[in-house]
Amino acid sequence: MSQTIALGWIDLVVATSLVLVAGAISVALRLGLEKRLAVASIRTIVQLGLLGYVLRWVFGHDTPWPVLAWIAVMIGTAGRAAVARASRRYGRIHLDAFVTLALTALATTFTVTSVIIGVDPWHKAQYVIPLLGMVLGNSLTGISLALDHLLESLDAKRELIEAHLALGASRWEAARDPLAEAVRRGMIPIINSMSVVGLVSLPGMMTGQILAGEDPVDAVKYQLVVMFMLAASTALGCIVVALLAYRRLFDAAHRLRADRISAASS
Amino acid sequence: MGARLCVEDLRVALDPGRVARSHFTLEPGARCALAGPSGSGKTTLLRAIAQLTPAASGRVLLDDAAPEALGYPAFRRRVVYVGQRPALAAGTVEANLAAPFSYRTASNAFDRDAARRHLEALRLPTDVLARTARELSVGEQQRVAFVRALLVAPDVFLLDEPTSALDPDAEAALEGLLDADRDARGSSAVIVTHQTAQAERLGAARVEVGA
Repeated sequence: MSQTIALGWIDLVVATSLVLVAGAISVALRLGLEKRLAVASIRTIVQLGLLGYVLRWVFGHDTPWPVLAWIAVMIGTAGRAAVARASRRYGRIHLDAFVTLALTALATTFTVTSVIIGVDPWHKAQYVIPLLGMVLGNSLTGISLALDHLLESLDAKRELIEAHLALGASRWEAARDPLAEAVRRGMIPIINSMSVVGLVSLPGMMTGQILAGEDPVDAVKYQLVVMFMLAASTALGCIVVALLAYRRLFDAAHRLRADRISAASS
Repeated sequence: MGARLCVEDLRVALDPGRVARSHFTLEPGARCALAGPSGSGKTTLLRAIAQLTPAASGRVLLDDAAPEALGYPAFRRRVVYVGQRPALAAGTVEANLAAPFSYRTASNAFDRDAARRHLEALRLPTDVLARTARELSVGEQQRVAFVRALLVAPDVFLLDEPTSALDPDAEAALEGLLDADRDARGSSAVIVTHQTAQAERLGAARVEVGA
């Protein structure tokens, strides 16, 4: 890790001029994007800047509480984002997304940090927070796709599902196909990215490690762990969120409660 | 043979704070037609009898047993609802007809010969079993959906305008199958129909849907 070249503030100012190129193109071609680009750039600076200082502070305190508090913020934000991307809602959908992420992301992340990497102490922020961040980022994509697809197909295939129920199917028998299809949809992005990894894209974490002077083979080892961790957490997340939605949308009388599904207001 | 269906003061909530109510007993082999103007809640009541829509009050009994005691899927296996619009899955007609026999509530096996006999009786082409269900016309799909219910051999049929997309010839054939099933097994039927003539042909007692 000795060959790292630290960036100075001047370097960042130069980097900012790269965004100005994008802004200039927007002005020249009248794309009308310069205002949104400016806002997005400022948000990037502020959010990442805050993150840097928060993480430095968290890293500097060798106690679990700041780490746990930051984890709660991350999971809460990811849960909201997962629901925001779905085009339909039901009551308690936020709670279900939050519970799903808390269960599956924490389980996979701590399996990796405590069992595979052997981080000591277990809450060491330098490992836990970046890995959990990657898990949440991927899980929320999978969960929102699975939810979106499930709610859409329960809505669209309502008559067919009710025809199965009317002929004596249990709620599980009637729901099995839409549930399986929703989980499949949620897992497609992570499977796609696993099949092109290294050929088309260098994963962000590996890029970062190589830039930070790590041996590429060591970086690959970490990346392998990360990819499998992401696959596991996305699969678990999609299954858990689909089952939680199933519990809310099929009642004890083996009825499909399509009346509980509503369109997203935004 | 057959079973008695009691609908006791069943009330369902309709859209703008209105309520539909029904009360009747259907003996084995009997028929009744739910009557009332459009929008009076006939379909909603039929769905509530099938336990697919929550009822506001009242209850439904099959041979004095409540659906929750029988188990909802088992109750629906014996009291089969056929919706107004046929709902068939992707795949062949045969796959659609065989699907209910994969459920845990299935007590009999899929009878391919009976399926072919019923489909032919309903004037469907002989190769229809191998055709893709969703490529059929609405009238053809409506007949397939009826045969699917017939093969399940329920005690009670709940039929929502079962012949709305059929020509008189196919309509008479469907009524004939329903009569033959009653004579063979004692099945009864609750029908929503806009034709007084159909209710009379089937010998269905008129049950007024009230508020």
